[in-house]
Amino acid sequence: MRSTPTHPEVVVAGLRKRYGTTLALDGMSFTVRPGLVTGFIGPNGAGKSTTMRVVLGLDAVDEGTALVGGTPYRDLRNPLSHVGSLLDASAPHPARSARDHLLWLAHSQGLGASRVDQVVERVGLTSAARRKAGGYSLGMRQRLGIAAALLGDPPIILLDEPFNGMDPEGIIWMRGFLRSLAEQGRAVLVSSHLMSEVQDTADHLVVVGRGKVVADAGVADLIAAASGNRVAVRTAARPEAMALLSHAGATVAASGRDTVTVSGLTADHVVTLLNRGAIPFSEVFAHRATLEEAYLELTRDAVEFRATSPEEVSR
Amino acid sequence: MKRALHAEWTKTRTVAGPWWLLLGAVVLTIASSALVTSLATCHTAGCHTDTTRLSLTGVHLGQALIAILAVRFLSDEYDSGMIRTTLAAIPHRPTAFAAKAVTLTGVVAVAGSIAILGSLLAGRIILPGNGFTPAHGHPALSLADWPTLRATVGSILYLTLIALLSLGITAVLRDSATSTGAVLGLLYLFPVLAQVIDDPHWQRLLHQIGPMSAGLTIQATTDLHTLPLTPWAGLGVTAGWAAAALAAGGLLLHIRDA
Repeated sequence: MRSTPTHPEVVVAGLRKRYGTTLALDGMSFTVRPGLVTGFIGPNGAGKSTTMRVVLGLDAVDEGTALVGGTPYRDLRNPLSHVGSLLDASAPHPARSARDHLLWLAHSQGLGASRVDQVVERVGLTSAARRKAGGYSLGMRQRLGIAAALLGDPPIILLDEPFNGMDPEGIIWMRGFLRSLAEQGRAVLVSSHLMSEVQDTADHLVVVGRGKVVADAGVADLIAAASGNRVAVRTAARPEAMALLSHAGATVAASGRDTVTVSGLTADHVVTLLNRGAIPFSEVFAHRATLEEAYLELTRDAVEFRATSPEEVSR
Repeated sequence: MKRALHAEWTKTRTVAGPWWLLLGAVVLTIASSALVTSLATCHTAGCHTDTTRLSLTGVHLGQALIAILAVRFLSDEYDSGMIRTTLAAIPHRPTAFAAKAVTLTGVVAVAGSIAILGSLLAGRIILPGNGFTPAHGHPALSLADWPTLRATVGSILYLTLIALLSLGITAVLRDSATSTGAVLGLLYLFPVLAQVIDDPHWQRLLHQIGPMSAGLTIQATTDLHTLPLTPWAGLGVTAGWAAAALAAGGLLLHIRDA
């Protein structure tokens, strides 16, 4: 039993877990490195929360290992000084004040009330700390959960959907806060089902779907990969342009009211074809995918329940 | 373990629920004991009433609030999801469970002592006025009398065993309403069944195996040879139930996902 992890890393390797007939985790593997905010992104039901519970020793797996600083969580003494966590749907007792909730947690680790007051102040809950947690908004409860995660000043922090229920001010605060934790050299894992919540905050992204990792890359690499070698055309004659270019062998998709995304042809070739066909256009440019598009692309096959768009129905 | 105990004690003292239930158990036990005692009379010498047992009757009702307290000690955490926070803070589950059991035992032992001693005191004050006098063969209730002391200490132990039985069942069932129903059913079902079944052999057996009916033989101070079990053997049955429930609950807590 080692009490101080040498590398504040989370290493998840080959996790498999089945609930009845549902395969919740299907070979989940990734690493959370110190000094970075790692976004843990995927649709609901992709296995994010289950993975976090496994890392925290709350759920068992059929196969695979999850180590924090080289040690299984359940072997840690005073675990909150190694790993801080915020779990979705793990609310404090509604009749207990925020301060008392943090106090029993502090006592479980041999910490005192002064540390409680420090973390309460750090998350901006000082004025509400003596009120019952049952009367808290979801955003305040998230701040209380963050305070609990910080209690033991851990080098590893795992947050499950911390943006849930936060108002815009809270979201901005949370982003800055996550950045500061990473800048202090901590390994920070933040899960979300919305790319927009983490795209400006995360350094690294682990995208998951159906219980496994579908992409594990830096933010810039992920955008480049999703952009491919596509060309975008802005034109007032969209249907004509699409007919002409697809006739020339390109894969063509309408990407806006007056824009078309083309793959399989170079920009020069597109310009030549349009001129030859006398189709007016105002702009031809390299397509740059947004992170949101990259995410949708990656998780398209992994979404369990997807609404069918009206276009697909009419086809 | 010391830190886990400190945490459990802080949890217990920082919400009002447990204190109201403990206060309720004390008041209900003493009040119902006093009521039953005040209704009993003895006009001649040789009325064969077990006055100690009579004075401690309130345990029958008071134990229900102790059981509810013990269920909520754990089920509140499952209801809110806080159990995950607890087990993330204390990942060694036998330690986490033991800390809960010890804290619960402590608060129930204190409240139980007040409830039982209060009931006995009420009996000591009320009984002589109803004819239970030394002249009629009933000296004042006293802890210097060994059978009365045994009944008193045994009743306090009984209440803590009921609390531990309830905690164990809750660790198995996890839900407040289901656990409360199961515990109260287990306690009161055996005596009810014994009432409706005519066969004396079955009646005797139900009294011997029911956690309440067996355990409360510890309150008997007279005519011990007519009981289905000796007092300590009866309390032993309740202890067996509590041990089995704690073992099952502790094992399931250890192996199941939180």
